[in-house]
Amino acid sequence: MALQVNINDILSQLYHQRGVVEFLFANRENITVNELLSREDISAEQYQKLKSLDLIYEYENIVSLNDAVVSMFEDFMEIGEVTPGFINDYINELNRHIRFYQEAREMRFLRSIKKYLKRINATLTREIIKLQKNVDDTYKNESNYRIKLQKLEDYREKRDTIIEFIKKTSDVVEDTRALFTLTNDSELYGIVSALKASLIENLDYLIEIQTDITDFINKIMFQIDVYKKAQRLKEIKEHGSLYYRTNFKEIVSNINTLKHNGHKTPKTKIAIEFLYTDDGHVLCKRIAEKYKLTRLMVRGIAGKMAGDFKDKGLEQQIKLDTEKLVERFLVQTKANLFEYLMDYKFPKAIGNVTFEDRLSLFVEIAMEYQNDLDFKYRLQYYDYNDTGSEVKKRLGYTLILPLKDKAKKKEKVKKEEG
Amino acid sequence: MLAEDFNLPKQTHDIFGIMARGNFISSNGSKDGMNRLYDIVNNPDNFDRLQAYFNVIRYNIERGNNFFYFSKLHEPNSELEKKLERFERYIDIVDLLASMDNKITIGSRFRPSEIAEECNANVRLKQKLQKIPLYRSETLHNKVREICDLMSRDSYLEMEDEKTESYKVLDSYAYLLDVINSVAIYEDTGGGSDDAQGLIYN
Repeated sequence: MALQVNINDILSQLYHQRGVVEFLFANRENITVNELLSREDISAEQYQKLKSLDLIYEYENIVSLNDAVVSMFEDFMEIGEVTPGFINDYINELNRHIRFYQEAREMRFLRSIKKYLKRINATLTREIIKLQKNVDDTYKNESNYRIKLQKLEDYREKRDTIIEFIKKTSDVVEDTRALFTLTNDSELYGIVSALKASLIENLDYLIEIQTDITDFINKIMFQIDVYKKAQRLKEIKEHGSLYYRTNFKEIVSNINTLKHNGHKTPKTKIAIEFLYTDDGHVLCKRIAEKYKLTRLMVRGIAGKMAGDFKDKGLEQQIKLDTEKLVERFLVQTKANLFEYLMDYKFPKAIGNVTFEDRLSLFVEIAMEYQNDLDFKYRLQYYDYNDTGSEVKKRLGYTLILPLKDKAKKKEKVKKEEG
Repeated sequence: MLAEDFNLPKQTHDIFGIMARGNFISSNGSKDGMNRLYDIVNNPDNFDRLQAYFNVIRYNIERGNNFFYFSKLHEPNSELEKKLERFERYIDIVDLLASMDNKITIGSRFRPSEIAEECNANVRLKQKLQKIPLYRSETLHNKVREICDLMSRDSYLEMEDEKTESYKVLDSYAYLLDVINSVAIYEDTGGGSDDAQGLIYN
């Protein structure tokens, strides 16, 4: 190492260059020095500093992070290759310290024992999670089937190794039970029982992983077998004896998928009314374009909008409001229907409502809501001007009042008597 | 009986739309939420309801390994000629995919250009590709493209990225493999068959 380093230096360097470290971690193996230096967050000087601390190194112009740093990150994030070797080291260390402790009952050995027991527990679980992840990844993402098979076989071996370690660990724990009881240390007791529980659990996971691996390998083998068969069939086909040397015809005739039996998508005819709507028009246009049918395209163009288009819209809107209007009329007592409508302040959105509109509304309401209205068969008169002329006119109208509750009741009584 | 009586999932329409066109619903398809539709059909409650519902209109849901498709009830299978022709072509295609250095199977991703490139470099593959009966396409690349297009239309492949033209092999591909696997070869000429099997390790 070029310089005397301490944790503080390393941490602060990693922290200051965290952008670069992240970048290098994500793009391992293919970043050149120039590429790195062209980034804005690192200067040549800073680069030299990182290099001098051995946090990064370059080889043939390719920059990479120090392996120790990479593996630290990988360990932390539980990614990367499965490395059961660690567990072995820990078990050896554990045994060593147990021997020390048997020699001299000193706290410092006990502390190490606890440390390694905890580490073994954590590492086992982590390795198993990694193993599961890697097996899955390999099956789903490894595109070369030979490598895929090889990798899966490797994982199978790793799994066996981990199982061995689990056995080893539980043996160690069993053998030293007497010793551990002697220590009378409650923390140690807790650690050991947690370890025992997770050993059993981990064995279960490993069995599951084994079934996964076997399943995956079988699937790949099946696919390879079928591929071999496909190639043989092709061969036979080339020789022109596909129908004579195989039961191809029989198999194919039993195929029941819709597509291969000439079943067309169920078609429903479009309702003619739909074609008259706006959506239908768009559809017609699309079809016309597709088949270059000018006839349909010409038909598609809508005529000029009528001059009284707006008024029509207005009428419709008033119609929509009628029910509310009648409700309001029925609860008031001051005015009769005609007066009410003439003085009614329609919402601004509707715009100006002319005398004629109000008159037609009057007739409409009188006809549609006659059951709710009290028709007094008396005429009243109303003076008005035709829109746009000075001539005074007089209109006679029937007096219509809201039906009062009493009147309703009377009617009911009468009906019941009748 | 009303549609409501079946208590159907609300995606029934989409499911029907795909399967009635003769297409497969695969668990690893991602277009138009296909994997979600797969999960819905795969749910045992839903499956029974959908099956009962579609049986009324004489469609039957068939279950494969990670995929579903429709068959027609009480109807004789027809169009044998066309079917034979189609499946002969499928054999050609599967054979081609099987002969790639990087065997393309379920879950594989590939680009037509990769296949074309490999075919260009290997005379045997080139011949295989050229012998697959298709209509247009002069260049190898276009031919592979056409095959991919055909396979996507039959919902065995899915185009994942239009820009890079990358395809993914769907679970429904297992259907083709199953069909091929079920064909029995009458072993009357023992000698030649071993040579044929040896071909896989090219």
